Amino acid sequence: MNDVYVVAIGLAGVIAAILGGALPVSSRVGAAVALTWVSCAAALGAAVTVLSSDHAITISTTAILPLTGVTMTLDPLGAIFVIPISIVAMASTLYWLGYAGHGLSSRSASSAMPLFVTSMLLVPFAASVATFLVLWEMMALTSLVLVLTDQSRREAARSAAQWYAVMTHAGAAAILLALVLLSAHAGGQTFSDIEAHARHLSGAVRGTVFVLALLGFGSKAGAVPLHVWLPKAHAEAPGPASALMSGAMVNLGIYGIVLVGYRLLGGGPVWWWLLVSVLGVMSALYGALYAATSSDLKRLLAYSTSDNMGLILIALGASGLFGASGHPTTAAIAMVAALLLMVNHSVFKGALFLAAGAVQVATGTRDLDRLGGLMRRMPVTGIVFLVGALSVAVLPPFNGFIGEWLLLQGLLHGLPTSNTSVVISISVAVATLALTGGLTVAAFVKATGIGFLGRPRSDEATAAHEVAITMRVGAGALAALCLVLGLVPMLVLPAIERAAASTGQVHATSVTNGWVSLHLLGLRGVLAPSLLAAGLASAALVVIVIRRIAHRRRNAWPAVNPVEPWGSGRKLQTARMQYTATSFGEPLLRVFDDVIRPSRDLDVSHLVESRYYIERIAYRTSNDDVIERQFYRPFIAGVRWWGQRARWLQNGSVRRYLAYGFVALVIVLVAVT
Amino acid sequence: MTFRLLLQTVLHPTSVVKDVGEAPTSQHPPVSLHGSLQVRHVDAGSCNGCELEVTSAFAPVYDAERFGVRLVASPRHADALLVTGPVTKNMVDPLRKTMQAMPEPRLVISLGDCAHDCGVFKGAYGVEGSVSDVVKVDVHIAGCPPHPEAIVEALRNLTGR
Repeated sequence: MNDVYVVAIGLAGVIAAILGGALPVSSRVGAAVALTWVSCAAALGAAVTVLSSDHAITISTTAILPLTGVTMTLDPLGAIFVIPISIVAMASTLYWLGYAGHGLSSRSASSAMPLFVTSMLLVPFAASVATFLVLWEMMALTSLVLVLTDQSRREAARSAAQWYAVMTHAGAAAILLALVLLSAHAGGQTFSDIEAHARHLSGAVRGTVFVLALLGFGSKAGAVPLHVWLPKAHAEAPGPASALMSGAMVNLGIYGIVLVGYRLLGGGPVWWWLLVSVLGVMSALYGALYAATSSDLKRLLAYSTSDNMGLILIALGASGLFGASGHPTTAAIAMVAALLLMVNHSVFKGALFLAAGAVQVATGTRDLDRLGGLMRRMPVTGIVFLVGALSVAVLPPFNGFIGEWLLLQGLLHGLPTSNTSVVISISVAVATLALTGGLTVAAFVKATGIGFLGRPRSDEATAAHEVAITMRVGAGALAALCLVLGLVPMLVLPAIERAAASTGQVHATSVTNGWVSLHLLGLRGVLAPSLLAAGLASAALVVIVIRRIAHRRRNAWPAVNPVEPWGSGRKLQTARMQYTATSFGEPLLRVFDDVIRPSRDLDVSHLVESRYYIERIAYRTSNDDVIERQFYRPFIAGVRWWGQRARWLQNGSVRRYLAYGFVALVIVLVAVT
Repeated sequence: MTFRLLLQTVLHPTSVVKDVGEAPTSQHPPVSLHGSLQVRHVDAGSCNGCELEVTSAFAPVYDAERFGVRLVASPRHADALLVTGPVTKNMVDPLRKTMQAMPEPRLVISLGDCAHDCGVFKGAYGVEGSVSDVVKVDVHIAGCPPHPEAIVEALRNLTGR
């Protein structure tokens, strides 16, 4: 009976892709969305069945992939990854209905989108190396098509797609090496074979496999310094695709690390998890810093994704460290925190990217310095973005708060361990959490304050109108979910605990307890999110009531006189004089000057008649990715140089090619004899 | 200043502060101030003579701050607007906007003869009129320019200290 789910996911996805490519433009997006919803609903059904019954769904056939066949198993760990993917996919595809008219209704896009969703939904099902790699590659290729959607209109999209293609395939190569190495040594390519034999492999093989997998999956998750493709591709992908990539696809990078590190290899020594923690700390700090200083709305969100993936890696690393040093309780808490952070991030980052896509549709720009005043013109989109921003800024009563609270509880309670390296890395992680928290707040105060409040800074922003109803509903549903998960995290916590237990790393089946208030079992920590929210709401109500009462007494509150904003009394006061995103980020850019190394350029041209009069001042500042500039650019330049040098080898002369063959033959003969 | 006075000033630094007499017995501010007054100064077209005297009134010798008066940097923080000079055409709007930007209750103090009747600038091509032609004036401090003692006295009448 449960096989039906898996067949339905795959079949609905494939039919959707075929219809998306074959139907006329009027009906292809509708058909693709409807069938993708079937696919998502089946995946949700499978995940809920697995999580409620604790029995894995297994399906195996040799009909599809020759030689190896397809093996699929959904266990609670995979199920907890399937749920956020299908929810984000449902919201994004609903949103796509409204977005399609803005350049996302081509045959290739309508065909790639359902395939992308389906392959993401099926990756956690994969239970053999071949199945996993095929689905992984399908996910990468279909998302690449979606990044390329706008390539005819924007040069940047083409360059972003190139970066993405190279980085994702380098990552896939590392994953391929890791999994092939593992299956060769374990003597079988299904995950259950590997699981059974991996514990007895030598430390060197296990270490190599883990590092390779960490690099490959880390690059998919946007871990610094493998993140360079992420701010480009996520920013250039059209609205629903960027929400899917940032809200769902990056999760699978995390899934891969959990899968290889915990499930297949069964945990490892301390240095593995130190490596994961270091990667997490770097991603969190670097992502938050760039989110706080960039002035492109979607680039900011993409860097914030890097930041959040960093937090999840910190949680995973902490869980591994505690597990390896013999502290199962805190290890369990950190693992649950990692999965909860992942679920929460999907929901709020999906909402934020959908809102940013709506802004791009309404104004045609993502440059915060050209936006403003959108809260009044696009109220629903504005509120969705505000809710997402409050969630990502870790403020109660929204969902981002619960995950980070749990992570901090785990880290702080884990501090009194005897292992020095663990204590040092946990202290660094706690400090990182504090700093990234502050930077994230700055980034999202900027994004909301500059992008949605104030006065419009351009004609496009002045003329903005609220987007189609399906786009509002799709984005609004995710925003509503942010609030629901923030008020009653107990809705998902039991499922997450079951998933954490199925990694094999965590022995306790339950780490939290309670319905209204959340108790951490084995530790002293209590949180009552709904009571907290009730307190906030009643405090706000008290203020409103007091104001009302005071307002009745005329003398206490004189009438309010609306006057224009104070601008030093100047006569000409335009929207361009407002604070911009660039100026908001400027102090931070100054403070972190040594890290970011921004380039500034000031051109002053004087009038010909007199040097005392200035004709034009041009100020350019750019804070492009320092890792890209310092490491990737020289590497690319080196490869290009090498390619230029190698060209004389292949100059079109047949005689020279014949000579190559002859020389090679001689060398082989000499070598053999 | 004689040499003896200079020597005395150096030897007893506190003595630079000028004694300007007892606190006013009766206080007639148009609004209740409770001994504290935050002042935003606007130069509406003055020759800068009045500015020198205002500076002097807040400098260490006359030290108006000891009577609860303070110059602030924004009309948003001010109780009173201190206007000097005749109002030039370019300053009509900024002056009006500055007053509108102040929270109520608010005071307008015009300082110097030019602020009252445009003085020697009366009828000049760039002059719009006196301060009272543009905004409603509550207190006037006369003089061309007014002596710092007169400024301090007028401000003390407002704060009552």
